[in-house]
Amino acid sequence: MKETFARIFAVVLILGGTFTIGFAWWFGRLDSITLHARMPEAGGWMPGDLTIAINQPLRLRLTSDDVMHGFAIGQSGQPAVDVKPGEIADITLNFDQPGTYTFYCTRWCGANHWRMRGTITVTGDAPEQTVTPPLYAQLGLDIDAPREAETVSEEQPSALRGRKLFDQLSITNLPTYLSPDYYRSHSPEQAWQDLRDDPELGSYSDQQLWNAVAYIWGSNTTPEALSIARELYAQNCAACHGESGGGDGVFSGEQVNIQDEAGGMSSGHQIVSPADFTNPEQILSAAPALLQGKIIRGGMGTGMPMWGVIFTEDQTWALVSYLYTFQFEEVPK
Amino acid sequence: MKRIVVSWAVLGAAALLVAFAPLPQSARAPTERLFRVEAGDFAYSPAVLHVNPGDEVTIQLVSTDVVHGLYVDGYDLRMSADPGQSATLTFTADQPGSFRLRCSVTCGALHPFMTGKLQVGSNFLLWRGVGLAFLALFGLLFFRQPSPNTDH
Amino acid sequence: MNILRYPLIKSLLKNRWPQFTIMVVALAGFLVAILSGLFGTPVGSRNFGIVFVWIAWWALLMLVAVPFLGRGWCSICPIPAPGEWLQRGNLLGPDDINHRDHGENKKKNSVFSVRSVVKPHNRRWPNRFRNIWLQNGTFLLVALFSTVILTQPKVTAIVLAAFLFVAVGASLVFERRAFCRYLCPVGGFIGLYSQLAPVEVRVVDTAVCKAHTEKTCYTGSADGYGCPWDVFPPGMVKNTYCGTCMECLRTCPHDNIAINIRSFGADLSVERVRKMDEAYKAFIMLGAAAVYSTVLLGPWGTLKLAAYSVGSLPWLAYAASFLTLILLALPGLFWLMIWTGIQLSGSALPTKKLFIAQSYALVPLGLSAWVAFSLSFVFANFSYVLAALSDPFGWGWNLIGTAGIGWTPWLTSLTPFLQVGVLLGGFLWAAITSRKIASENTINTLAMKLSAPVIIFCLTFTLILMGLLVA
Repeated sequence: MKETFARIFAVVLILGGTFTIGFAWWFGRLDSITLHARMPEAGGWMPGDLTIAINQPLRLRLTSDDVMHGFAIGQSGQPAVDVKPGEIADITLNFDQPGTYTFYCTRWCGANHWRMRGTITVTGDAPEQTVTPPLYAQLGLDIDAPREAETVSEEQPSALRGRKLFDQLSITNLPTYLSPDYYRSHSPEQAWQDLRDDPELGSYSDQQLWNAVAYIWGSNTTPEALSIARELYAQNCAACHGESGGGDGVFSGEQVNIQDEAGGMSSGHQIVSPADFTNPEQILSAAPALLQGKIIRGGMGTGMPMWGVIFTEDQTWALVSYLYTFQFEEVPK
Repeated sequence: MKRIVVSWAVLGAAALLVAFAPLPQSARAPTERLFRVEAGDFAYSPAVLHVNPGDEVTIQLVSTDVVHGLYVDGYDLRMSADPGQSATLTFTADQPGSFRLRCSVTCGALHPFMTGKLQVGSNFLLWRGVGLAFLALFGLLFFRQPSPNTDH
Repeated sequence: MNILRYPLIKSLLKNRWPQFTIMVVALAGFLVAILSGLFGTPVGSRNFGIVFVWIAWWALLMLVAVPFLGRGWCSICPIPAPGEWLQRGNLLGPDDINHRDHGENKKKNSVFSVRSVVKPHNRRWPNRFRNIWLQNGTFLLVALFSTVILTQPKVTAIVLAAFLFVAVGASLVFERRAFCRYLCPVGGFIGLYSQLAPVEVRVVDTAVCKAHTEKTCYTGSADGYGCPWDVFPPGMVKNTYCGTCMECLRTCPHDNIAINIRSFGADLSVERVRKMDEAYKAFIMLGAAAVYSTVLLGPWGTLKLAAYSVGSLPWLAYAASFLTLILLALPGLFWLMIWTGIQLSGSALPTKKLFIAQSYALVPLGLSAWVAFSLSFVFANFSYVLAALSDPFGWGWNLIGTAGIGWTPWLTSLTPFLQVGVLLGGFLWAAITSRKIASENTINTLAMKLSAPVIIFCLTFTLILMGLLVA
């Protein structure tokens, strides 16, 4: 009698416990997808591709299997969610536009962090959308061509002093120089050359004209844009390009091409160190359209990720204007 | 018998002295100290930070692989840094002693064993421990105590 | 003092239900640990398996159970339980009429009968392995991979499942608790350190045993099983191989079993049954405590990675130095100390005998080292236990509302003081033990010279550990 009771007790506790755990596991998966985050070397997002019908809520249970990760959807205004090791973050997403969305990791999780991306395909009928080619393509810029500024400023150009200069001026071409179209399509070096060649500005020194260029660049951004860009830069760029823009970030020496490592389709490219934004030859020869192109397309064969699916256009332009602040002083920050 | 009692009393007094006697910390004038601590591969570099009591210590934490944290035992301070986003923590090292630094953000399998050390002034706990150990040795080797097994 | 004088304690220990209930609950917890390791989050600090085994259980074992109860854990350990139930065909006591070897016919027609499924062979454990050398080996095997086992839930689960599997197998092939006695990597060191515990199971009066011809404590009776640990209670002089399972308490018809509260470390002065396998256990444990304090708690990342990357060249180097230190360097150094002691004292005793005898002084030294080592991470990481209780699998549960508790180190400003205290206590205890052992066959003045090198060895070890843990 006692023995029977003991057996029932043992069986109920052990099998019952196992069964309860199994049931709870099954029940927890009913209406949601558990999205596992792993370091890219261990597989990245699992699963990496999700499909949902338009206007259907997508419930995701995010968890990390190793280190701290983050989750965000590219080009959406939604704030990033931290994906902590061994913990679950429950989120529900709604998509009212069909298309392909990119989700990506927002916390650096190794040198290959930026490869940690996945897609959500939202199915449904959508009106045909016309795609405008990016500005660098419209302008026909070869963004991979080697470039080096021949003329650089001796001192760091000052936007503030440039502004004082512009306040005194009343030259015909002033509105042109300050216009967004001019700013985006010209490198600072070209702009300086235009100013130098402008007969009305003949009496000004080279340095004064560099200050003027700094002012043109400063006037095409806002403190708000720069503050957004500063944050984007710290979160997404600084690990390679360095916190002070020197191209010396903690991963600057580690951007190895994954294809080369795997011994597969070797691109034959050398490992290119991240761009040094404090180097005037590099930056003063780059037009904003060119930098925008580099950011949205990424550098083929280098470690530079493709940000086009992540940043909105405004964010990209803000980031571009921020990159020049490593060259120009006293830009309104 | 009396001699043994006296000897033990002397030894006990010496032990108490070693264990509790107040010791002067070095009277060096407090300065500001900046440490750039790189965190990666389950280790801090430098792993040991030496400061003097009263120093104004700033730790700049630079993560070189994944998000790491830093917790200072005894001071109950914590910080964390992403790669590319170094963080700084400033505090006054007002407690002398040796304190472990521990990673406070899960950074992989060996995370619980990612440690470093903050050494503020002399580690009197260690020296007292060493002193007591030698005192015990002295007592053991030079005092003849009656052993319960001598009748064998 | 015999605590069985108190009727409440006696009935609680004699009754099978309290022990059985704890064992079943522990077994359920053990299975949850395996399940969570296999199917839960791979993040160790959030996985029930890792957190409960290596923080909660380890703390309970090293800080409470072993120092104060000796083999107390073994009496409720769930690992041998399923095998033992199969071996006995019963979960509780023997059948009323038949027991052990005669019980087979009784339950044949019952579907519930365990014996209808498996037949235990009850073989005798081979004589040449009737020692703890195998346990020394299994401990070293686990120890070499410990950095991975400690941190990877899946590996912990596999190791736990393997323990269970081997324990069941051993119970079915061999008689009694062969796994616990000769294979369990944990059981080996619990046995070694149980010599220090202030509790012992002994017979009250051996004369009563002599007159008792049935020897039911060893052969079993209708009230209980013959000693599962293959120990003959009247002959027991130290705790090492007594699993405190209380069977002899149940089978003794003369009420001749006592559970005595005694002084700490009483078994160390037992001159009989000192053996080389136990001496080596002491070296292994001493060395392992030092290596872990260096690798796991030190600030050297390269060492940690070497110990973690099993199979790689750095790991092979680590494994080789680990084994060399533990199996050759430490015993070799100790041998040198004994030799020096002999030269100083002019003792005529054989070196090997003294080597074995003096190594028992390392028992308190080793336990204090393990306690000090455990103190460094148990309290610092104890908050993980609360989170894992609420969410054992990392599936987002919150059973008791503590899942959100982040990592909060406890008592970390206090632990260094405790560690220094524990290490000093261990040194003092070891040194006094060494003196006592030395004076067993030597006059006092010479005993001092004989033990002096050993005491220096213990001091050096203590200082090294102090340097590693609190410097």
